[in-house]
This record gives sequence, structure tokens and C-alpha cells, in this order.
Amino acid sequence: MMKKILVWDLPVRLGHWLMAGGFALAWATGDSESWRLVHVFAGGTVTAVALFRLLWGIFGSKHARFTSFVRGPQQALAYLKSLLRFSPRHYAGHNPAGGLAILLLLVLALASGASGWLTYQEMGGEWLEELHEFATGLMLAVVFVHIAGVLVGSLVHRENLPLAMITGLKRGEPGEAISGQRRFAAVLLIGWAVAAAWWLAR
Amino acid sequence: MPKVLFLALLAASAAAAAATPQEMINEYAAAAARQSPGFQPSAKRGAEFYAKRFAVSDKMPACTSCHTESPAQAGRHAVTGKAIKPLAPRAEAARFTDAAKTEKWFRRNCSEVVGRECTAAEKADFILFLTEGK
Repeated sequence: MMKKILVWDLPVRLGHWLMAGGFALAWATGDSESWRLVHVFAGGTVTAVALFRLLWGIFGSKHARFTSFVRGPQQALAYLKSLLRFSPRHYAGHNPAGGLAILLLLVLALASGASGWLTYQEMGGEWLEELHEFATGLMLAVVFVHIAGVLVGSLVHRENLPLAMITGLKRGEPGEAISGQRRFAAVLLIGWAVAAAWWLAR
Repeated sequence: MPKVLFLALLAASAAAAAATPQEMINEYAAAAARQSPGFQPSAKRGAEFYAKRFAVSDKMPACTSCHTESPAQAGRHAVTGKAIKPLAPRAEAARFTDAAKTEKWFRRNCSEVVGRECTAAEKADFILFLTEGK
């Protein structure tokens, strides 16, 4: 009765990989002056996607909404413990620990984007540059914890979670499925991300 | 653990402590002298280093690519076109007053423009040139 159902709409998946790719590119080019424009464009993309994700956390499909996955540290801890006992509770959408990672990554992406942009525009002092480096370093750490969590979760749940973030399909009850891909919002996301990144990198 | 933390804080605050270009020249020169006894920093060598075309990077083959022929002038970023304040402390008093910042930018710009880390001797010569001129 647990069939493959659609849980991640297109904006969620596209946003995820835009953010991951943008972060990797921004990290790789951070120390270089020749690649400065690429760095700002990549960082701008991450920031734009994070901003979109805030709205999508309110207006998006069921499993994209904050109300469906923001659970608080106690439930996240309980979930991680159940994971270590190899009897984790299965969530069709985000588990509570994953939800926490999303919140952290969004906050850090916005802090990093804001401080980076202000530094690029020379509107802030030295401390904004320091904040930019600190927030980005912390973000990389959370990314590694997130990846580790996804790998462990994939093994313990016997479900390919990275693949689910590509196809949108996960195991679940039919009643938990979302009704559609939200293609129009995905087009909006791409247009917004390109426009915002271009504007930020001016 | 608290002791380690204390030492780390001490090191961090020492690194952030205000410094003068002359103090930095002295420190780099002392480090260079440990490698080659009798080392004396030279503004002339610093000027040659500043003007040298390393040609490691296409867009930024030399220090002058962004900082212009004269480090006492305002520069221009070769890629973004953004204005850069003069690099020379005699034109821009805030330059070379923070040891950690100086190290950070030597690390970044040397690896990109020179293609390797700069030596303590090169750093001493460089700051001396920027302070005094040729």
C-alpha cells in the first residue's frame, strides 16, 4: 500500500539544485578576483532561491510548507535517535531533522547573501566581510551534516533520497501525495533567480 | 580546554591588534632573515616585484592590473571595474594596519597573480616599497 507518490513539486526540486550548484560555485570562486563576477552571480542565485523559498514555504504545495515540516529541536532529536536505533519513523515529506537543516540553510544563505552583497557594494565595514565568511563557513558545515543525514537516512529507510529530490517521488500513502508539479511557479522561480542574480551582480 | 580557548582568543586579539606598516616590514624582514641571514628589505626589489608581469592569470597578469602603475593612485578592479583605494599607506592611511588582513590578502592575491605563496622577503620588500616609494 506504500506506493511511490509525488511529494516534491518542481520549484522545491529546482530550487534545491540551483541552491546546491550555486553554493558550490560560489564557494569554489570565493577567494578569486578573476572569478569575482561568477562568485557574485552564483551567490546571488543562492540568495534569490532562498528568498523564493520563504514565500514557497507559505504558498507552496503541502510538503513545501513550513507548517508541514518545522518541528523544533526536540522532535528533530527524537527522530535522530530513532535513526540510530535503525527504526526511524518514515515521513512522506521532510523529517524533523531535515526540516531543521532547511531552516538553518535558509537563514545562513540570507545572512551570507546580504553581507556579501553589501560588501560587494562597499556599503559595509570590515565586519560585514567577516560575517560573510563566517556565515558561509557555517553554511558549508550544515551542508555536510545535511548530506551525511541524507546518506544515513537513505540507507536506513532503504530509499534513495537524492533521487527523490530529482524525480519528486517518495514512498507514501496516496493521500499524502501533492496534486501537481506547480510548473508555472517553477518558471517564475527561474525567471526571478536569473533576474535577481543579474541585478545583484551589477 | 579553557586554557586552549584563552590562548586562541589571545592569538585572535593579537592578530586583530592594530599594527603599522613599519611593524609589518620588521616582522616579515625578521622572518626572512631567519631563512637567509643578513636579509635587508629593499624598496627597489619591492618596486620590481610590484611591476613584474607574472602572467599567471589572463585578466590579472600583474599587481598593476588592478592597482595601476602607481600604488599611490586609486585602482580599478580588472574584472568588476569597481574602484579600489590606493594600496600605498602614504596615500591611504588604513593600508597595512591589520596584520591578519594583510596576511589574508597576500594569501589570496599571491596565489592568483604570482601563482604561489609570497615569501616573507617579498612581503617585506613589497610593503617597504608601498610605504616609501622607490
